[in-house]
Amino acid sequence: MADTDILETQTAATSSVAGIDQSVGDFKYDVKYDFDAGTGLSERTIHYISEVKKEAPWIHEFRLNALKTFLAKPLPTHWATRDLENINFDKIRYYLSQGTKPKRSWDEVPADIKKTFERLGIPEQERKFLAGVEAQFDSEAAYSNIKEVVAKQGVIFLNSSEALRTHPEIFRRWFGKVIPTGDNKFSALNSAVFSGGSFIYVPPGVKVAHPLQAYFRINAENFGQFERTLIIVDEGSEVTYMEGCTAPKFSTTTLHSAVVELVALKGAKIQYITVQNWAPNVFNLVTKRGLAHEEAEIKWIDCNIGSRLTIKYPGVVLRGRKSRGEVISIALANDGQHQDTGAKMVHAADETTSTIVAKSISVGQGRSTYRGLVHIPRHLKGCKNNTECDALLINTNSRTDTYPAITVRGQQHAAQHEASVSKVSEEMIFYMQSRGLTEAQAMSLAVNGFVNDLVRQFPMEYSVELKRLIDLEMEGSVG
Amino acid sequence: MSQLVIQDLHVAIGDKPVVKGVSLAVSQGEVHAVMGPNGTGKSTLAKAIAGHPDYTITHGDVLLDGRSLLAMEPDERARAGLFLAFQYPSEVPGVTIANFVRAALQARLGESAELDATGYYKKLYEKMDLLKIDRKFTSRSVNEGFSGGEKKRCEILQMAMLDPKFAMMDETDSGLDIDALRVVADGVNKLRSGQLGILLITHYQRLLNYIVPDFVHVMYDGRIVRSGDKGLALELEAKGYTWLKKELVHA
Amino acid sequence: MSALPDIQTAAPNGAFTSEMLAAHLAALGHLPKWWLDLKREAWNRFAALPLPQRTNELWRFSNVTGLKLDGYTLPALADLKSQISNFKSPSAGAFPQAATLAFANNRALPGEALPADLREEGVIFEPIETALAGHADLFRQHFMAQPVNLGSEKFAALNAALTTSGAFLYVPRDVELAQPLVVTHVLAGAGSAVFPHTLVILGDNARATLVENFLSADPAEAGFVTGVNDLYAGPGAQLTYVGTQNWSPGTLAFQLNSTVVQRDARVLSLNLHLGGRQSRHESHSRLQGPGAYSEMLALTVAQGAQEFDQRTLQSHQVPNTGSNLLYKNVLLDQARTIFSGLIIVDPDAQKTDAYQSNRNLLLSDEAEANSLPGLEIQANDVRCTHGATSGHVDEEQMFYLKSRGITAAVARELLVFGFFEEVLNKLENEQLHAALRDLIQTKFTH
Repeated sequence: MADTDILETQTAATSSVAGIDQSVGDFKYDVKYDFDAGTGLSERTIHYISEVKKEAPWIHEFRLNALKTFLAKPLPTHWATRDLENINFDKIRYYLSQGTKPKRSWDEVPADIKKTFERLGIPEQERKFLAGVEAQFDSEAAYSNIKEVVAKQGVIFLNSSEALRTHPEIFRRWFGKVIPTGDNKFSALNSAVFSGGSFIYVPPGVKVAHPLQAYFRINAENFGQFERTLIIVDEGSEVTYMEGCTAPKFSTTTLHSAVVELVALKGAKIQYITVQNWAPNVFNLVTKRGLAHEEAEIKWIDCNIGSRLTIKYPGVVLRGRKSRGEVISIALANDGQHQDTGAKMVHAADETTSTIVAKSISVGQGRSTYRGLVHIPRHLKGCKNNTECDALLINTNSRTDTYPAITVRGQQHAAQHEASVSKVSEEMIFYMQSRGLTEAQAMSLAVNGFVNDLVRQFPMEYSVELKRLIDLEMEGSVG
Repeated sequence: MSQLVIQDLHVAIGDKPVVKGVSLAVSQGEVHAVMGPNGTGKSTLAKAIAGHPDYTITHGDVLLDGRSLLAMEPDERARAGLFLAFQYPSEVPGVTIANFVRAALQARLGESAELDATGYYKKLYEKMDLLKIDRKFTSRSVNEGFSGGEKKRCEILQMAMLDPKFAMMDETDSGLDIDALRVVADGVNKLRSGQLGILLITHYQRLLNYIVPDFVHVMYDGRIVRSGDKGLALELEAKGYTWLKKELVHA
Repeated sequence: MSALPDIQTAAPNGAFTSEMLAAHLAALGHLPKWWLDLKREAWNRFAALPLPQRTNELWRFSNVTGLKLDGYTLPALADLKSQISNFKSPSAGAFPQAATLAFANNRALPGEALPADLREEGVIFEPIETALAGHADLFRQHFMAQPVNLGSEKFAALNAALTTSGAFLYVPRDVELAQPLVVTHVLAGAGSAVFPHTLVILGDNARATLVENFLSADPAEAGFVTGVNDLYAGPGAQLTYVGTQNWSPGTLAFQLNSTVVQRDARVLSLNLHLGGRQSRHESHSRLQGPGAYSEMLALTVAQGAQEFDQRTLQSHQVPNTGSNLLYKNVLLDQARTIFSGLIIVDPDAQKTDAYQSNRNLLLSDEAEANSLPGLEIQANDVRCTHGATSGHVDEEQMFYLKSRGITAAVARELLVFGFFEEVLNKLENEQLHAALRDLIQTKFTH
């Protein structure tokens, strides 16, 4: 392997699809970074990050402990793909920024960064339908703003680094409580070098009418983005949070390893929507989990279209009686991609219910994997889980795997899991072609039909975006 | 005037010859009925013309306005003006009728032009009213969970929306009760104009009471053995296919 | 034959020392050298392999700390008579049988020989030690020809090293057996270790039913068992295999099954699991010819602190094959079950039709059912589905039965049999079906 490469570049088969799906985000403007922690990971990296961020000693300590955990834990290749071994952690840059203070207006955002987000349409979306936006560029947010009417309701929407400084009490109370540092190797890595991400607090009885959105942009090569998001929704409140992401396609590895913690207090509702469209050289290793208190509801809508390898199983810990958890997962794996996604539902109180609906599409030599964990322990009653996962295989060499694990203790629960694998039937394609659609159009329509019942649950802007991405991915999948 | 010309067509399924030399010319505005017993190659003829991949054309040609269709993909044939109303229409889960027909129309416009949404829905509702299809059907997935009659009406709706030059209707009457048959036939008759040529494939004469053909062809063992006007259909109805078989043996 | 490595031992292997092997081999001097060499090789594999680790995905949710190999002995022949004289355990037995073989503590007992007409047609049904000498080529071709690969490789090697008992069944081409053949394995004496081995070969279009009963002479005595079972169905053959496992409640048991199904052949296997402290059953069906079909069925009644650990694999290796798996577990008391199944469809194995289903009925607040139904699909023109449910008895049904004056215990039992019936109904032989019902009944004493 060449020294300059973090890993061997993908084969020709992969690059043939590059630039189709990631065309939106596949561009790069040169940016000058004022802060750069250098290449590789050591205690020095952490000293540097803490110093730039002027962090409290407890955070610094937290990071150092996390680094030890990260180094001590092996890669989880006893169950996960060995492609993880291709990440060279010594060749990655762990912190890059132009400064730690995000701007409140787009006019103040440095021109080189601003034009990136303008090209991605973020300011326009903000004007149209969002209650607030945070735009992260590599390690730090360049822009963060919340509409005044929402701020007046007492809603806090800040970049995490900022919130740690301004709201340490509430941040510290929940930080690392839903996902402990040692949950897995990558949550430990994030805990050591986290930077950016969103912090949201919604006070009791507030229903935020429009979604809050974060947009994550990776611009630099050989870079790792480690945002940390913490959302706390107080009693009876509601919020919808959406995140999008892109990166230019590099021949070397980019690493994205986020930790997202949600806390829904009594009767609260959180909906968290992700449309992941990383470039095909990104390792996307993310830990997402929510804690649902009594009668609270947490719903993850998780769409994975991009990246080289995604490992992500959004979860809900149902801690309060009658709380509800839901994961809706859509994955599309094209040549050279492996979408290893799914869900975790941990029932920890009576009468809790959880639902998982996962649909995956494998195109060409793409591989999609569903992993699910449903845990209903003893001494509880009236817990219910329903899981449905369907895989669609487009080409003869496409691959899909399904690995659920369901544990039920006690005689007062019900858990049900159904999965199916199918292909798009030739009769269906012929029928559509006989109406004048090309084979590729027919295939796109069939694939969109396959996920349609799930996409309907999305906000309009996102369902349109997803449909467009699927159409692009299906181009060239036939013939 | 457009013409669909079938020239000495031979079709095989796998190694088995099914259509063994059919020649037929349909002009726009004409209705040709193809009748015959089951398993005689009628449906095969229609599917092969539409370009179904399971059917191999071993000999002969199909020309639309002088241009051979055989090298074309099924969708190219459709965009060239051909329409097949299926005997057993496919279900397309998750794709609504409205979106499906719209995509089919958009495919005819190409990428440069955008279909006018308002005009589209106006036309769709108009045609649905014509075919007595409830408007809530627009948001149902294509053919999914439809009754036999609903599927057939959905086929005719698509035919009405896509304005083909030639339509091949494969056993459109099968599985329909008399009321449903009347609705479907009314729909077809309303589309019947100087612009549309129809190849009506049917086992029974019943449909021909409602859609009166200009020509009737009798198909037997992969060939057209008799051609005539609507009187031939009535004669066949009265005497039955066994009469035909005997006639052929004696001939 | 090449030179053999020295006999090895490793510390975690408890009672299974090289001295045990040496004594075992010393008593087998009358058997062919290739057989003894094969045993030494197997022993070396056993000794070299580690015990299952918690991090091994094939042992996920299993109680690996329960796999202690201390305190077991190869039972001495001398004690056998007294041990089986107070025989208590029930087995499935009340149905017409073509012939029987019986084994106790790794030794053959007198059975009921095959009728002369079947012998004349070339059917072979005899203890493996007789068969390996008399039909060496056939035996060697099939003996452990299919690797055990669902986690218990170490125990499969131990079986090959120490087995002396079990049935060899060969049914030649076009021969059909109307009545089942029955094999019984008895474990007697506390601490006894037994190693049943079954090898079934069906020629083209042959047809047979084999029933195996595994039981302990005395439910109070705990032992150790590793059974290996190889089924081979040649083109067009039809095999029905029924295994009833009713070891004493303290026994540690492994049963490792491999099934090969050739073109147009059909195998139905039904395993009934009732006994053992910790019982692991692995079953791997390999579908190797177009038109091959494997039906994999299991019923388990788990009670007390029993753990039943079931691992299955449906390997679809060529186009146009089918498999259907249905495993049903009833859990009482503090019992645990683990079902981990996988369907693998190889690249190019188009038109595979595979189904996998695990249904758990929990009848206690302390019971635990783990279900890991998996799929790995590498061909796109397939129909593969799986399902898993874990639930309780329908309260409405329960109430309905009680309202007719039925006690809760009886009502529960009725519902359990109702739950099992879907599987039992797949057996065409009604007397065999009834015998299995009777055996299950013994688990429900009021």
